[in-house]
Amino acid sequence: MGRYIARRLIYLVAVLFVVSMITFGLMHAVPGGPFDTEKALPPEIQANLNERYNLSDPLWKQYGKYMYEVFIPHVTSIAPTQSVNDDFMVTIKIGSVWVRWMNFGPSFSSRSRTVNDIFRQQLPVSAQLGTLSLLVALLVGMPLGILAALKQNTLLDYFGMGVAIFGVSVPVIVLGPIMVWIFGVTLKWFPPTGWGAQPPYFLGFLPSNLNWNFFSHATMPSVALGLGSSAVIARLTRATLLQTVREDYIRTARAKGLRESLIITRHALKNSLIPVVTILGPLFAALVTGTFVTELIFGIPGMGKYFVTSITNRDYPVIMGTILLYAVFLVIANLAVDITYAYLDPRIRYD
Amino acid sequence: MRSKLFVVFSVVIIASMALTACQLGAPAAPGAGKVLRMSFGAGDVPTIDPALTTDTSSVQIVEEAFVGLSRANEETSLSEPGLADSWDVADNADGTETITFHLRNDVPWVRYNPDSGKVEKVQDCSGKDRMVTANDFAYGILRTLDPATASNYAYVLAFAIVGAGDYNGGNADASAVGVKVVDDQTLDIVFNQPATYNINIAGMWVARAQPKWIIEGDDCTTAAGDKWTEPGNFESYGPYTLKEWVHDSTITITANPYWPGTASVPVPKIGEVTWSMLDEAPAFAEYEAGNLDVAGVPLADIDRVKTDPVLSKELKIAPDMCTYYYGFNTKAPVVDDQRVRLALSEAVDRQSLVDNVTKGGQEPAHWFSRPGLAGAPTMADHPDLGVFYNPDDAKAQLQSYLDEKGLTAADLDLTLMFNTSSGHQKIAEAIQQMWKDNLGVDVKLVNQEWKVYLETIRDPVATPQIFRLGWCMDYPDANNFLKEDAGFGGSANPAEGGGFNWKNDKFESLLTQAAKETDPATRVDLYAQAEEILVKTDAAMIPIYWYTRVSTTKPYVTRTFSVAPGQEHIEKWDITK
Repeated sequence: MGRYIARRLIYLVAVLFVVSMITFGLMHAVPGGPFDTEKALPPEIQANLNERYNLSDPLWKQYGKYMYEVFIPHVTSIAPTQSVNDDFMVTIKIGSVWVRWMNFGPSFSSRSRTVNDIFRQQLPVSAQLGTLSLLVALLVGMPLGILAALKQNTLLDYFGMGVAIFGVSVPVIVLGPIMVWIFGVTLKWFPPTGWGAQPPYFLGFLPSNLNWNFFSHATMPSVALGLGSSAVIARLTRATLLQTVREDYIRTARAKGLRESLIITRHALKNSLIPVVTILGPLFAALVTGTFVTELIFGIPGMGKYFVTSITNRDYPVIMGTILLYAVFLVIANLAVDITYAYLDPRIRYD
Repeated sequence: MRSKLFVVFSVVIIASMALTACQLGAPAAPGAGKVLRMSFGAGDVPTIDPALTTDTSSVQIVEEAFVGLSRANEETSLSEPGLADSWDVADNADGTETITFHLRNDVPWVRYNPDSGKVEKVQDCSGKDRMVTANDFAYGILRTLDPATASNYAYVLAFAIVGAGDYNGGNADASAVGVKVVDDQTLDIVFNQPATYNINIAGMWVARAQPKWIIEGDDCTTAAGDKWTEPGNFESYGPYTLKEWVHDSTITITANPYWPGTASVPVPKIGEVTWSMLDEAPAFAEYEAGNLDVAGVPLADIDRVKTDPVLSKELKIAPDMCTYYYGFNTKAPVVDDQRVRLALSEAVDRQSLVDNVTKGGQEPAHWFSRPGLAGAPTMADHPDLGVFYNPDDAKAQLQSYLDEKGLTAADLDLTLMFNTSSGHQKIAEAIQQMWKDNLGVDVKLVNQEWKVYLETIRDPVATPQIFRLGWCMDYPDANNFLKEDAGFGGSANPAEGGGFNWKNDKFESLLTQAAKETDPATRVDLYAQAEEILVKTDAAMIPIYWYTRVSTTKPYVTRTFSVAPGQEHIEKWDITK
């Protein structure tokens, strides 16, 4: 297992390399630059900006410099400065030298911030929202799916699947504003917008105090975001569970007189979880790195909008940063999924 | 929760009042307990560094934290004393103009101290209060122009101030720039040519005082570099200063108790202003929930707000200094003939468009420079100026072209391009229909993503026949519209080709003449003549509408409405609950 994980982590480096190259190539191939605005800039100003952000170098040089700043740890005796060009994710002082690693560069559109600032301040918010909505998705989706499967073709089944169809077919962009209107503006149960936690975060990503203020802000967006995924999970759980309960080994379990509850939890459910876990990996990566629409509707200061605005702004370092971040999350989430397989189904072996 | 927050704020403020009362000499915080809640659009405020500011939300914070040498009145756009009490204008023998600014001596630099929760004066290395001096303004201007700062808006100073363009372009050093500190209270700025708008330019955010010690460091201050605009580092001197900036979420400014208060920039009455960074629809939901005091009205809600008994009283449609227009590539086939261009312009029923499509109370535009700018004609003084909806004349103009070329309207191959957006799409479709109905021409609609589009319309060859653009003021003068956007070498008419692809010597000379003219009425007439050429004689563009800002304000807020986006003067506002 250890060797398998190590091998996968080496693949991760290869994946990041390929992703970075494709992203870098694509974003520079698209017409328009970061400083093209409605008000055309005189050539001198454009030149100053290009100089400031090293955009006048040939592309291969820019790419090389970026990869060097991000991936290669720097050992230096020069103290860190407050420049946005000099912000590393990891800075460790050993004696009189600094070891510094992962400088994702400055943001072109927020001139006093860096991509690392966005990771430090916005990613935790998205991670909190994503985790909560994943919890909602599981807590609603799994029981619904199990109930629907066990009581197949009863009212309960139809009700559960009705909820699932609703969840899939009503997107956040519709559900969100309706929830804001009903529970935020009219009933005033929850604040219509905003997020209840702000930097500094506990351990770098957890809200520093889990109080009512946090949950009152988090409830509506987590439910709105989680409901759609819960529907997918419910349908998947139902389908696979229905298949599993028809397997021979379930009949055997029943024949030997095992309790029904034990049959379902120990034998049927565990085996039917594999497809559900498979989609949980990418789902986790997608939810935790930010969701554009939900964040916009509920005014949540997360990462999601940077995935979209960085591209419309041609904010190159932010595009690279967000894409690489997403790639890392996706690869690691899929690795976690593969490891979970082995636990769920002992027939699966990697070594 | 907001109300709880409000209580907490109030307690903090009352506590700090009690504390300050014990400290002799420290003035009480103005407007204590009054908190105004507003919103900016979604996404972080890009910067609050005066040298780097380009967008309206950044301008708004800079406007309250830093006062220019002169300050444009937010309603009339006229220049009023800012940090300079008065100024003298002198024409030089070499054709340049020197303005000597006489600065106030009673404005200190301040900083919000997050540990004490108070706004404090900033001391220099010898322990004396740092006052705002001519040196700080000279530093600010030179820092903006420094090529290493890479300021987008440096170009405004670069074209106006002697030597500034050379310094910014890397062809001369800073000593060549026509900015001279005579003494702490006197600053000379030498402008390339005499112009009435020089004083506006001297008041712009890029020309404001900046704190050198905190940006670059000195004997007793650590350099904060690019991070000088973060709360805790940030120093300013205007009626408000930065208190808190939760990136992507909220930004809060607090009243500066050391702002002396002047006739044009009074001591603020509201103690604290918070902006939430929300998209229009959620911001309006917060307004309706009572959690915001001022909010823009989303297009989808305008009809409902207008008929709602409560909201309609809180609604205000105020002018906004922007113009929406379609430009012509005057060298492209078909539209290279003035008759075709004028016909297309006269066939646009602007009133119907703003009533049925845009719906925000916009004003039909008959020329380019937005009325309300200094020097711009208004409907009152020039009711017949420019281009009007006139389908009959439009038909006649087009017919004369068609007859000459032996064509029919159906033969014309025309393309209108705009950047991808549902709003622009609706407008383009409505105008396409008007052209079809009034002239019988079929115009193709093409859209492109914004940045791709910007490259297309500035390409000497690829620029489409008709393209959509808009222009908003940088400083409140018609010169900013006519010269810097439409004039030869302007933003929509690049000298290298593309855009209007248009040069009219009469138009250019009228602009030069108007820039120097000191009599306001004559100036307006000169610009009116230039407008006539732009939209009629040459018909290089179709002015469509003049912008408005549709917003609602809670009845307990007394306020002014700025005509310039992002330049609300909140120190004049009050809350009476």
